[in-house]
Amino acid sequence: MSAPAPMADAGVVLGLAPRAVFEPASLDEAAEVMRALARDRLAVTFVGGGTKLDLGHPPARLDAVVRTGRLAGVREHAPSDQIVAVEAGMTVAALQRLLAPHRQRLALDPPDAERATVGGVLAANAFGPRRTRFGAVRDLVIGITLVRADGAVARGGGKVVKNVAGFDLPRLMCGSLGTLGLVAEVVFRLHPLPEASATVAIDGLSPGAVRALATAALDAHLEPVALAALPGASGDRFRAAARFEGFGPGVRDQVERLLALAARDGRRGERLEGAEEAALWGAHDALRGSGDVRAKATFPPAALERAAEALRPLAGALRGGAILLHPALGIAFVAGALDRAEDVAPTLEGAREALRPDHGAIVLEAAPPALRARADVWGPPPAALQVMRRLKAELDPDGRLAPGRFVGGL
Amino acid sequence: MRSMGTAEPRPVAPHASVARPPAAPSVSAQGVAARLAAVVGGANVVTDEAELLVYEADGLTHGRVRPELVVLPGSTEEVAAVARIAHAANVPLVPRGAGTGLSGGARPVPGCAVLSLSRMRRILAVDLENGWARVEPGVINLDVTRAVAGKGFYYAPDPSSQSVCSIGGNLAENSGGAHCLKYGFTTNHVLAARVVLSDGEIVDLGGPAADAPGYDLLAALVGSEGMLAVVTEATLRLLRRPEATRTFFATFPSTDEAGNAVSGIISAGILPAAIEMMDRLAIVAAKAATGLDWPDVGAALLMDADGCAAEVEHVSARAIEIARAAGALEIRVPRDEAERQLMWKGRKSAFAAVGRISPNYLVEDGVIPRSEIARVLREIERMAAEAGLRVANVFHAGDGNLHPLVLYDARNAGEEERAAALGGEILRLCIRSGGSITGEHGVGAEKAAYMAEQFAPDDLDTMQRVRCAFDGAAILNPGKVFPTPRLCGEKPGRYEPHPAEAAGLAERW
Repeated sequence: MSAPAPMADAGVVLGLAPRAVFEPASLDEAAEVMRALARDRLAVTFVGGGTKLDLGHPPARLDAVVRTGRLAGVREHAPSDQIVAVEAGMTVAALQRLLAPHRQRLALDPPDAERATVGGVLAANAFGPRRTRFGAVRDLVIGITLVRADGAVARGGGKVVKNVAGFDLPRLMCGSLGTLGLVAEVVFRLHPLPEASATVAIDGLSPGAVRALATAALDAHLEPVALAALPGASGDRFRAAARFEGFGPGVRDQVERLLALAARDGRRGERLEGAEEAALWGAHDALRGSGDVRAKATFPPAALERAAEALRPLAGALRGGAILLHPALGIAFVAGALDRAEDVAPTLEGAREALRPDHGAIVLEAAPPALRARADVWGPPPAALQVMRRLKAELDPDGRLAPGRFVGGL
Repeated sequence: MRSMGTAEPRPVAPHASVARPPAAPSVSAQGVAARLAAVVGGANVVTDEAELLVYEADGLTHGRVRPELVVLPGSTEEVAAVARIAHAANVPLVPRGAGTGLSGGARPVPGCAVLSLSRMRRILAVDLENGWARVEPGVINLDVTRAVAGKGFYYAPDPSSQSVCSIGGNLAENSGGAHCLKYGFTTNHVLAARVVLSDGEIVDLGGPAADAPGYDLLAALVGSEGMLAVVTEATLRLLRRPEATRTFFATFPSTDEAGNAVSGIISAGILPAAIEMMDRLAIVAAKAATGLDWPDVGAALLMDADGCAAEVEHVSARAIEIARAAGALEIRVPRDEAERQLMWKGRKSAFAAVGRISPNYLVEDGVIPRSEIARVLREIERMAAEAGLRVANVFHAGDGNLHPLVLYDARNAGEEERAAALGGEILRLCIRSGGSITGEHGVGAEKAAYMAEQFAPDDLDTMQRVRCAFDGAAILNPGKVFPTPRLCGEKPGRYEPHPAEAAGLAERW
């Protein structure tokens, strides 16, 4: 079989114009393409739905792009085993539509699900509010098929959830941003669709009060599937939101108990269901994706107040800048539009400095070139950079997979 | 597989023979021992033949190999110094925790030094606000929970050996347990690790904050069976104890009905904390060992549901309805925690209990898709009958993790070999059914040969490249996991242009 021809219109990716774009329609075709690229020593970047193209540095070299859009089939869905194996280019939304009639879902809710592909989500470690309960993609992936830089097809994991045979390639690939191989197929464990869902929203909270509420809820053994704080109605206050899912009795009980916890502190909470509930979480996703500068801060959960404080100048330097907090995860997002890069860059560095004692980090997930010129999108290199370099060299010895895009120039 | 109830070490069964690593370097044992003693103190280097006996095997007692020496460092720095000495002398290092592993993951290789982490057993820090404990590798699994239980927290992974196995070994094997169906495995509960590489470099992986930038090396480390690095500190996630737990025990005419009950419960959208199945022979054994008044039935289920009280009451009632509809003969709900513990004791003692009904037995560990349980059990029964042996089945039904116990009498000529062969055939059945050769015991030395049946050469080659990134000298725990070990730097099967490709794409650029 010959590899598919490159598409006529290559387009521009990451500000670079590749000489060719490939859209393989099968695993075999993807392997053919990768072997051809290897033979010609061409640098390649993989593109799924294109929702995370801003993440990382632009690659140092970009000769070709491999898009996974035509690699979007279902390999296997075993409802009674609660697993699904799909090709990497399937969108998350399409996957959820496939699963819903079986009352199942992939318990991962990254923004932009209509465009985000499962392979891209895995490579970029994309996630949404339900990470609070179900974990990130590394907690849901059980198998993977990779096409290596040399065109070899390698599988890791399998299609059973419990499996310790061999090194854990599926999890190792999570967040590796296409710098170790092409994610061609992914096997996920699935969760049941909940029978009931409701969200409690409480406005007017300081970051400290958000943290206190989260701790009180968890100490009371409540088990929210999502816990976030959005900009509130007034000033610098937040509106906390806790979502409960499951069977009716458990959801009702937990909603009432959280409302009672809030009332104890003299706060009035709202119970949101149906369209109102969807609107709140939709607003969360919209805010997270707003503007052209988007930062993700990570820190130990108890450092939430310090993190919120540290991020305020950054949000303030952006037009329409907003902060979102995920208190149980120790993650915050800042999003807004860039006016003056020279004002924003110092606030980013200041926030990084402030989070350093807590081992926190801030990654610029999107930023226009003007800001990239003044700030490192990744921040300081990780402690284990030498091992990461050797791993990259083992799997991509010629440095052709999105070279330089990842942390520390990997 | 584990040989149990045998006083004498047994020879390695023929089907389980393990590819040996490249010939062990000749050790100037005294020289290395002296250098190690200078680092860790003479009392912490074992070279006495009688003392070395203990280290010849782990929980898998056959296939014993005597190490050249055993070194017991007391700190990260000492581990690093030991690694530098071994690296310089090209002496293989075989890390060892509590030695409870069931796959020979800590089995020595000729000429090696066993690196025992058993002196490093301090809990270094506990941070309940952020939900973690930082511990040394020799800390016993259950001691982590004991340290925080008073505050309502626990460490979730609960391998059956949790009162004796150590955290370092848990990380190496990615240990599971009955409750990993809902809560995940060790890999889901490790936030960070300080490790020593084979050249003595000390490296920190992960961190107390989520998503540390860079590759998820922690994911590669956990479950790497001691082949990537030596863990000297691990930061473990702690969870709050659930508000409520509801348990029930149900009996069935056969494993078919019990299997249907499990499927029904799962498809009703219920995620049990644990759901365990035993077949007739396992029930008989558990009764013999514990004196429980369990009836003589074809199969039994033991299920835990946990979480917030209102949810758990609902879920438990619904699961019981489903079990009845699937043909349950009897449902027992424990009246109190003591009775609940007794039920779990029956389940947990099932392995050892088999010793009551058979002079010897092997413990297998394989995984199948949950929906295949009934078919696979019938197939195992058929294979056992053909081999003229009995198999008792105890397993984590929720995730399809089988633990067939192959019963045999070593005094009968050829029976042990037949048992080992049957064990191997059961693993092959797991692979054919779309499952795995190990759900929680690891590949170790014992199942390395089967890796080539579950994985293709390029899969294994990719995993070996990961090993090379960590341990280019290939001195950490050689001979485990991979059927055909290779030296780093060799790149078998590297890219060669396909003729069709050369013709099709060559002129495009």
